Amino acid sequence: MTRHLVIGGGTAGMNALRTIREEEGERSEITLVSAERPYSRMVLPYYLDRSIAESHVFTATAAVLAEWNVKTQLGRRAAALDTRAGVCTLDDGTKLAYDDCLVATGSSAVRAPVPGADGRGVHSFWTLDEARGVLAHIAPGSHVVLIGAGFIAFTILNSILALGARLTIVEIAPRILPRMIDPTGAELVEGWLRRHGVAVRTGAAVTRIEDRGGRRRLRFKGGRDILCDVVIMATGIKTNLEWLAGSGLRVNRGIVVDERLRSSVANVYAAGDVAEGRDLVTGEPAIHAIEPTAQEHGRVAGANMAGRDATYRGSLSMNIVEVCHLDVASFGAWDDPGAEAFTAVRRERPAYRKLLWRGDRLTGALILGRSSDVWTTNDIGMLKGLVQSGNSLAAWKEHLRGNPFDVKPAFIASRTTATLLPLTLLGRASKAPGTTPVAV
Amino acid sequence: MRVLKLTPDKCTGCLRCELACAYMQTGEFQPAKSVIRVSPFEGHTSYAPYTCTQCAEGWCMTACPVGAITITAAGAKDVLDDKCVGCKLCTIACPYGTMFYDPDTRKAFKCNLCGGAPACADACPTAAITYEEVATADWIGDFAHERAARVLAAR
Ligand SMILES: Cc1cc2nc3c(=O)[nH]c(=O)nc-3n(C[C@H](O)[C@H](O)[C@H](O)COP(=O)(O)OP(=O)(O)OC[C@H]3O[C@@H](n4cnc5c(N)ncnc54)[C@H](O)[C@@H]3O)c2cc1C
Ligand code: SF4
Ligand code: SF4
Repeated sequence: MTRHLVIGGGTAGMNALRTIREEEGERSEITLVSAERPYSRMVLPYYLDRSIAESHVFTATAAVLAEWNVKTQLGRRAAALDTRAGVCTLDDGTKLAYDDCLVATGSSAVRAPVPGADGRGVHSFWTLDEARGVLAHIAPGSHVVLIGAGFIAFTILNSILALGARLTIVEIAPRILPRMIDPTGAELVEGWLRRHGVAVRTGAAVTRIEDRGGRRRLRFKGGRDILCDVVIMATGIKTNLEWLAGSGLRVNRGIVVDERLRSSVANVYAAGDVAEGRDLVTGEPAIHAIEPTAQEHGRVAGANMAGRDATYRGSLSMNIVEVCHLDVASFGAWDDPGAEAFTAVRRERPAYRKLLWRGDRLTGALILGRSSDVWTTNDIGMLKGLVQSGNSLAAWKEHLRGNPFDVKPAFIASRTTATLLPLTLLGRASKAPGTTPVAV
Repeated sequence: MRVLKLTPDKCTGCLRCELACAYMQTGEFQPAKSVIRVSPFEGHTSYAPYTCTQCAEGWCMTACPVGAITITAAGAKDVLDDKCVGCKLCTIACPYGTMFYDPDTRKAFKCNLCGGAPACADACPTAAITYEEVATADWIGDFAHERAARVLAAR
């Protein structure tokens, strides 16, 4: 019986595990090692604003794992991987032998290296434990400072406001969301935030965080201090790869993988934030560090581990975040300096579109509009479809140059649906969650 | 599986499908909440309805981080309200632009084929929308292409 070892029970690991059970021809043994119980990190903001119970974040309960016939080592960390012997050693010394294994250990939050960053009242927001910590400290009227105005900070912004806290965002770069949106978009979002009572301080370098009578005092290189109750550092993430030292796996920024998510060692796969998988638009290896890429990696790796020959065209980088009922979404190579760009801004709404082209194909897009605007939501999906399909828009390019908002007729009339319909990730129709067959 | 077959040449743009859909889905005649959408083509000389194809991949479903999108007995992908957290990942994952989001309830919603008796097909007076045992397809692409070609050529 083949022994599969899945290391990391986050998005990529759980998708792989399910797919192994869906695809396998004969019963295999699956062991899951995970430092945390399986849950989805991106659901944590909804736990933070108390719109869901903590139990809602888990992607598989002990009962489900038992039903799937998965042996578990939860709360345990993989400490070393001997790829020659095919053995993984855990932090308590347990040795697990495998026939093939998946590395899906994700990433962790990194704090800016300033004095006081690890002091009391300073939090990260990446794990469930960290979310619990933040939740326990925010009360209505608390003053919360978010250090770092990147995507992750924005995913929890609404939740902090929903808890009745006062919010200040501090960013060292000259503008917010530097890796998700361009300067025009950032300016609109910043204005929108101010209109919604959020203070934004860009170009601000924190030099020290001090404890001052139970409150936090932030000092800056230039500019006045900020006194607050809670500091959340969203200053970046790093991939969890240290434990692989000596494993012999080829590592670049992440683990180097082929179109089957196989690493440089034939029976070791990597998926999710740790893997440098193919980017759909550029064809180059990339770390997206997003949920959909982790899901796709996990499913493709799982299918291959189950004995299918599943190759993969690559994942599309994409993000959406809602900021006080303003949707901000990005697709593909939206920051490609070599692309031709069409833009349109309606400051009063506010609304913004940016379409990026390589020849007659859309290779990236930015879109900003009110959440209540149905057409924005529809266009968000259609822009994804246009970038994903790579359909030629030759007939529409001139029209879209003057009317970047008029995406729908271009999508429909260029028969994008016909291009997209045959596409599936695994060469078959997807199965509904919860209908995963128990081990055959 | 039965799907919504769209025959755009028969559509007169009367919007009865949108009304029927919204009524079936929400109990109110509010086309803003309809998940079938009628668009004009070639100026306003012709119209076509557009909705979820219930595609094989189900990008919305595989993207959902909490498994809130499932497949119903009628074969439709549908959002389970009590599971949906409102993260909008499905709205960027569906490449057809047929996921919707309700800011009031903070839930995603989509065409669920009304449990196997689609109200839009029932309401359409010209049979531009029918519920049939056929493979899903790009029902309105050719229609839109032909009309758009004339408009774009006239510029
Ligand atoms: C607050 C927040 C909001 C987010 N919002 C979005 C969003 O809106 N959209 C989006 O696309 N993405 C979002 N993300 C990012 C998304 O959650 C990640 O990209 C995704 O979780 C990556 O999946 P993964 O399986 O690679 O890693 P993870 O989900 O991080 O899972 C890694 C697993 O490995 C375990 N582990 C780590 N080290 C070891 C070890 N040595 N041994 C054993 N187990 C180990 C961990 O405990 C964890 O269970 C968000 C993340 C956060 C924190
Ligand atoms: S909403 Fe979109 S992704 Fe989901 S089944 Fe319909 S067409 Fe497919
Ligand atoms: S909005 Fe709801 S249905 Fe859509 S992906 Fe998020 S949780 Fe799932």
